[in-house]
Amino acid sequence: MISVQNLSKMYGTFPALRGVSFEVPSGQVLGFLGPNGAGKSTTMKILTGYLYATGGTAKVDGVDVSEHPVEVRRRVGYLPETNPLYTDMRVDDYLSFVGEIRGVKGSQRKAAMERVIASCGLQKVVKKGISELSKGFRQRVGLAQAMIHDPQILILDEPTSGLDPNQIVEIRDLIRSLGANRTVILSTHYLQEVEATCDRIIIVARGELVADGTHRELCERLPKGAVHVELVGPGDTIAAKLSEAFPGARVEKLPVDAGQAVRFKVERNAVPENEASSDMRGRIADLAQQNGWKVLELRQGGASLEDVFRHLTYEKSATVAQGAA
Amino acid sequence: MLSDIWVVTKREFRSYFLSPIAYVVGAIFLFYGAYEFFQFIFLEAGRGAEARMNMYFNQLPLYFLVLVPALSMRLWSEERKLGTLELLLTFPVKTGALILGKFCGALLFLAVLLGLTLLYPITLAALGNLDWGPVVGGYVGALLLGASYLALGMFISSLSRDQIIALIVTVVALMLMVRLPALAAYFMPKSWIEPLMVLSPVTHFTSIARGVIDFADIVFYAAFVALFLFLNSIVLEYRKWVG
Repeated sequence: MISVQNLSKMYGTFPALRGVSFEVPSGQVLGFLGPNGAGKSTTMKILTGYLYATGGTAKVDGVDVSEHPVEVRRRVGYLPETNPLYTDMRVDDYLSFVGEIRGVKGSQRKAAMERVIASCGLQKVVKKGISELSKGFRQRVGLAQAMIHDPQILILDEPTSGLDPNQIVEIRDLIRSLGANRTVILSTHYLQEVEATCDRIIIVARGELVADGTHRELCERLPKGAVHVELVGPGDTIAAKLSEAFPGARVEKLPVDAGQAVRFKVERNAVPENEASSDMRGRIADLAQQNGWKVLELRQGGASLEDVFRHLTYEKSATVAQGAA
Repeated sequence: MLSDIWVVTKREFRSYFLSPIAYVVGAIFLFYGAYEFFQFIFLEAGRGAEARMNMYFNQLPLYFLVLVPALSMRLWSEERKLGTLELLLTFPVKTGALILGKFCGALLFLAVLLGLTLLYPITLAALGNLDWGPVVGGYVGALLLGASYLALGMFISSLSRDQIIALIVTVVALMLMVRLPALAAYFMPKSWIEPLMVLSPVTHFTSIARGVIDFADIVFYAAFVALFLFLNSIVLEYRKWVG
């Protein structure tokens, strides 16, 4: 169980975190999203005791990180953003070192190494030098390192950054299997990743928490996405009628492949109170029928996590000059 | 705590055997030392002098001036560059254990290099009548001197993520420390030089290397090492606040 209360951190005069609060119940896989410099890594570094917070508290299993950092670190497995590998060591020596310093003793260590080697798919490279490994394998070694002491809490800072699509899928599957019986906090830039692996999502921007909920809850916070229509009829009239029917909506003419058809995208920023968001399609169909336009396509796009992310973070990140990593 | 230190010491010690720099510098130290030593022996022996090591030990503070910074430069700089500092500092061990472990690992490697030079006194003993007293004193002094250089070098390494900068700054700092009494003599009254001499690790080394192991000298080295290891921990703690 992780509990963060009103956490703040200043890098010199730059506020990297300004009062972030959230809780992660045990067993949950939490996705931590946000643009670069939003405060994701900073939060994780504070949770693992690598940095001290300027204000607020961070607790793991009820233990305050600033008061008992060693106790907290014992419970947490951590993969930092820059994969912390001793490139001149062999994979097995490296894992053995991390196991030993984490207090996994003797025969237990051997068993622990076999366990992480198997779960991270490292069998083929155990005896190899880390410098010889591909980026995908290095990332797996980093994950194996974080799990060697079988922690109940895993903190993974961009575990899939810089990997190719196949490797991303592998690591993602691995994280999902790890998350089955552990608490995981995972930061990422890949939105599909949180959709695929996380029970819950937190979005931070400019050092503040801007959203917190399940994937579905977040998507519902945005009005349903734009409606695309393709009609055969007089383009200018159609545009005018659509604007008239939906005051305040953005009506955008889109290019068409061929023929007489015209194509529009109608997007509303807010849905009027007495309407369901899906009503637009019906009203456009009615409009077409009344005016004798032939409907070729009428499709509504749902708001994706990407839309939510951009909606919540875009303006904000644009005004942030230079975020510290 | 002790087992934590030992784990770090082992890794640090082993990593020297994976580092080409350590091999190169170690080899130069051994071969150049041997060259100087045997050249001296044959000259002295020709003049019928008794077998002694003190010529070698007199040169040691100079050899260490290059050797020790080359060993200490990577201690923290490399960790920062590789990102492994974040690994070390998020292990469930105290920062002090990391610092002591690293220091002991480097000192152990230096001790191994010094151990290889035991070849010289053994050769001497085979050739003539060797007084082992000053030799033992010389080696004890060399370890203490090396420890003091290492502590300073490791502290400087914690200040930069660039090993070369750590190397250069450490060499310059040690040079100033070694030469300070001589430099000060140019512009300070003679009565000030004496207390200044006490602050230089080399002064204490020369007195130990004569074969007189004085408790005060040992206390000096212990205090010197402790001071720089403490400063080292302050640097690491400070970074946690500043980020």
